[in-house]
Amino acid sequence: MATSLYSASYWLRRRLGLTEVRREKAHLAVRRFGEILWAVMKHRMGGIGVGILVFFIGITLAAPLLPIADPEYGGYPQLEGPSWEHPFGTDHAGKDIFARVIWGSQVSLAVGLLASVIAAVLGTLVGLASGYWGGWKDESIMRINDIFLSLPWLALLIIIAAVLGRLKLEAIIIAIGLTSWNFTARVVRAQVLSVKERVFVERAKAAGAGSWSILRRHIFPNVFPLVFANTILTVAIAILSESSLAYLGQVDPTVLSWGVILHEADSNSAFLTGHWAWIVMPGLALVFVILGFSLLGYALDEILNPRLRER
Amino acid sequence: MSEIRRVMLRRSRNAVITIFGIMVLNFIIIRGMGDPALLLTPKDPKADQDLVEANKIRFGLDKPVFTCVKSIYPVTNISFDCAGDPFDNQFFIYLRNTVTGDWGTSYVTREPVISIVARDMGWTLVLVGTSTIFTIMLGMVIGAFSAQRRGRAFDVVSTGFGLFFYGMPIFWLGLVLQLLFSRQQFGLNWWPVFPHSQEYDHDLGTFAWQADFVLSALQHLLLPALTLALGTFAGISLVMRNSLVDVMTEDYVVTARAKGLAERMILRRHVLPNGLPPMVTLIALDMAFIFGGAYQVEVVFSYEGIGFRTINSIFNLDFPLLQFIIVIGGVAVVLANFFADLILVKIDPRIKIA
Repeated sequence: MATSLYSASYWLRRRLGLTEVRREKAHLAVRRFGEILWAVMKHRMGGIGVGILVFFIGITLAAPLLPIADPEYGGYPQLEGPSWEHPFGTDHAGKDIFARVIWGSQVSLAVGLLASVIAAVLGTLVGLASGYWGGWKDESIMRINDIFLSLPWLALLIIIAAVLGRLKLEAIIIAIGLTSWNFTARVVRAQVLSVKERVFVERAKAAGAGSWSILRRHIFPNVFPLVFANTILTVAIAILSESSLAYLGQVDPTVLSWGVILHEADSNSAFLTGHWAWIVMPGLALVFVILGFSLLGYALDEILNPRLRER
Repeated sequence: MSEIRRVMLRRSRNAVITIFGIMVLNFIIIRGMGDPALLLTPKDPKADQDLVEANKIRFGLDKPVFTCVKSIYPVTNISFDCAGDPFDNQFFIYLRNTVTGDWGTSYVTREPVISIVARDMGWTLVLVGTSTIFTIMLGMVIGAFSAQRRGRAFDVVSTGFGLFFYGMPIFWLGLVLQLLFSRQQFGLNWWPVFPHSQEYDHDLGTFAWQADFVLSALQHLLLPALTLALGTFAGISLVMRNSLVDVMTEDYVVTARAKGLAERMILRRHVLPNGLPPMVTLIALDMAFIFGGAYQVEVVFSYEGIGFRTINSIFNLDFPLLQFIIVIGGVAVVLANFFADLILVKIDPRIKIA
């Protein structure tokens, strides 16, 4: 009786995925996450980065709740300087620049995050394949990587965006993803090369595990922390890419982002008419968000990268 | 020695493969971007179809893109057609022309591509060359200084400064400098000293080696060169600092310090020789931009160098100009990497296989 009850509860727990091992693993994962977060906050650069990002992401999420003007309402006096009513002034169409900068963060951040997720997935797959299989597959993948790294970055980005459908937001996101996976792929490949020589991989092989299962269960978990740190760094590059494309007029001008505001400022010669806030404010927002992601990324890299940790 | 020779042979083989890949990828993505024959004729759908056809024939765009591939624009509608000579298509003509140096004429200005590229590259050389050489030297000195004073005020300030400029969109930096030095600012009229467009005053006519042209070119160089310098400087000094700091924590430096060697000697004998290799690649890549152009700076300041021309020819779908500019830029980067590796193998005996 007791045995059957035990086995029923075992079956139920298994069914629900609540085995001891899993609970232990989940517990360890939470603790590890907490440790990493603590290490990032203690790391001077990482702490500043987190602070900057919390500020900007908070503003982005809170934008609908803030008592600010409608970013697309064009009924204010045109080309006003900064005032109490319009802290950053108004633009050529009589829109409130302060509201536009706050609302512009949504697209800038979203494009950056989505594009870097694409880049991370692509870079991880490519890096895993090239590091694990080696030989001619590795050689050909590395050559493709070289080709992407050698072509002029901005020209490649504009051309790929144009091929995928000029001005469309999803085309821009995919184009940025396609031009920024290389670095992740290199880092993952290097890490795979060292991990695959370790004993536990040998053991799994000896136990008859297939390539896919070794990659998924033994190699990927050891590569993931590096991918994570790298993805944070890629977000900075992706945001920079989006703003450059927007500045050159290569994105949909009705989808508001910081780059679009800068494009409008430039095409209305704001630097000649002395509307400094129109140029300075969206740019400062860009600089600080990029700085935030870079600082967090460097801190994570230093904490998670085994090569650097030993120092 | 034979080991090094084998590595270099493999590197050169890889460089050749990469250059060929650049040429192929470049061809495909440019052809997928649009149809220049349509762009150059009026947008009116009733517009003369004969004119479109005539343009296509004149540009050689009536031929299939590749053997059995008729057209790859738009990418959602690739058409195939295997009729005709398998080698009489745009791809093989492009390969042949790249190798023979017959780069054709621009669709837009009808000028030979080679003379446009030569002229623009001259201006880019002036801009990138001057600012890069100064910033490399200054950046390395500042980076070394701040590595030596790690954690002290100088280091904190210069690293903070570097990080701030490192992630900065360089076009924005250009806009801010234009704002600072435009006509009326701080009650001063900066205008004649810091012009903010073109490579020299185009009202003077075509450039000639005369005093007023040279003076004008120098004035027009100031702001773009400063922008580019601030952008490059941050990268150089940060990499220099980090690579030296990495070396300074090595055991042999601690040993050198323990045996009482002066800091200057430690830096010169132990730290610099081991910390410089990462700089070689970085400097080589910065040099490659002389051929690739400084896109953002050139566009912001309407400085008609290679970068400005590239962006413009993307907008105009000027295929002959665009495809060769991009190949040149790509090949320059590949060669820069190759020569950097060559130098590294020579100066660093530890690099054998990599």
